[in-house]
Amino acid sequence: MNLAHLHLLLNHFPTIGFGIGLGLFLVSLFGRNLELKRASLVILFLIAVIAIPTYLTGAAAQDTICERVNGGLKCPADVSLAMIQKHEDWALLAFSIMEITGFVAWIGLWQMRRTSKLGVLNATAVLLLAVIAVGVMSVAANLGGDIRHPEILSPDEIAAAQSSGREPIARVIGSYVIGQTWLWPACEALHFVGLCLLFVTVLIVNLRVLGLAKSLSFTAVYQTLPLGMLGFGINLLTGMMFFLAAPQQYVSNVEFHRKIILVVLAGINVLYFMLFDKAWKVKAGDDAPISSKFAALAALVLWVGILYYGEMLPFLGNAF
Amino acid sequence: MMDFLRLIEETSFATWVRESPSIWSFPVILLVHTIGMALIVAVSAGIDLRILGMAPELRLAPLEKFLPILWFGFWINTITGTMLLMADASMKLMNPDFYVKMAFIVLSLINLSMIRKHVFRDPLIETGKFSSKARFLAWSSLFCWLVVITSGRLLAYVGQTSLYK
Repeated sequence: MNLAHLHLLLNHFPTIGFGIGLGLFLVSLFGRNLELKRASLVILFLIAVIAIPTYLTGAAAQDTICERVNGGLKCPADVSLAMIQKHEDWALLAFSIMEITGFVAWIGLWQMRRTSKLGVLNATAVLLLAVIAVGVMSVAANLGGDIRHPEILSPDEIAAAQSSGREPIARVIGSYVIGQTWLWPACEALHFVGLCLLFVTVLIVNLRVLGLAKSLSFTAVYQTLPLGMLGFGINLLTGMMFFLAAPQQYVSNVEFHRKIILVVLAGINVLYFMLFDKAWKVKAGDDAPISSKFAALAALVLWVGILYYGEMLPFLGNAF
Repeated sequence: MMDFLRLIEETSFATWVRESPSIWSFPVILLVHTIGMALIVAVSAGIDLRILGMAPELRLAPLEKFLPILWFGFWINTITGTMLLMADASMKLMNPDFYVKMAFIVLSLINLSMIRKHVFRDPLIETGKFSSKARFLAWSSLFCWLVVITSGRLLAYVGQTSLYK
């Protein structure tokens, strides 16, 4: 199992997963079914989480198939670099839209817990974004298939595959980040700010569940979750800046792989606090049930673990 | 002065921090420093943002219970910060950015004690309405820690390379 293989495993999740999420969401809107709405938002959020390692392994897959030679890429005869680059462009766009959709779906989930309904604004935004995401992702997925499946190529596509290709958008952005001397340090400082905002929520929610400041109810600390999501969002964005600028130092870095695995697990962990009654019913003065405490401890371990692997990237991994 | 700084940099401990390939030296010291930063700023920012209106249902008074975590972070950062400083004393102490960081740490702590005095000790705290003084203190606290984070991050980039290297 290498990263290219992992990409082949993961790559169907974004397209099919978002398709299912969107389909279920439409059914829930027509059927006016609250639980189905919740389920579809969960799917959209989880698929957005999975899209992160999917995109990242895509970059790794390119490095597995093609060789880096003299600052450029040399691919085997049956693989078109032009096709890879087109796929990468559409994949970056699809990924960006999916992450935005995931955030909006998450906000919808968060609101639903408090108000027991999904607001019209959120529902409309999720619908529009999900439709666009599915469309763009389908194009990206189709182009991905064209990379090494000559049997599915139309004559037009065969001609396009033979062209020399142009610089992918990912590299244009990456070069800009590296090119401006102030931009990388600024992104690093912002990455720290993001993690501190994230930890506001991580500390307040999880330490309360573990027993600190018991005069707070869970519904009160629940209100800090969007701040944590904002912090995570800042870090996803700045993290992508780093990745696009210097993918090689992350793709081959085992500590980075572990960091991303923990990010996926942390994304799943967050859902516990948004879906399950055991945590939700903890009132001011209550001791939280043991399962919630376990989830809170897991959250702390995961987020500190993510911080750990991030900090250790230059030291343990073979990067920089 | 430079001789004194070099003396510190050349102690076996400072040399170990700087030059040892062991993960327990520079990497772990920096890791603890990063965790300390997260603890300090998260607790402080949580209080500040609550004053500024985030999470209205979250009562401010119980958040004082989180302050020991902030102090724990502060002390582990003082210790790890000193270790990091010793390893690179001559460069850091000639670097204006380092003094900016230290100054704003002091300002942040003063700010925090003012919040404790004027906001946590205010009998009206339970009403959830915060005075403009309270809100000002919250903004300045966020700003001060932002300067600390940024100037700290920039230590890797600004200032002359050590005269010693």
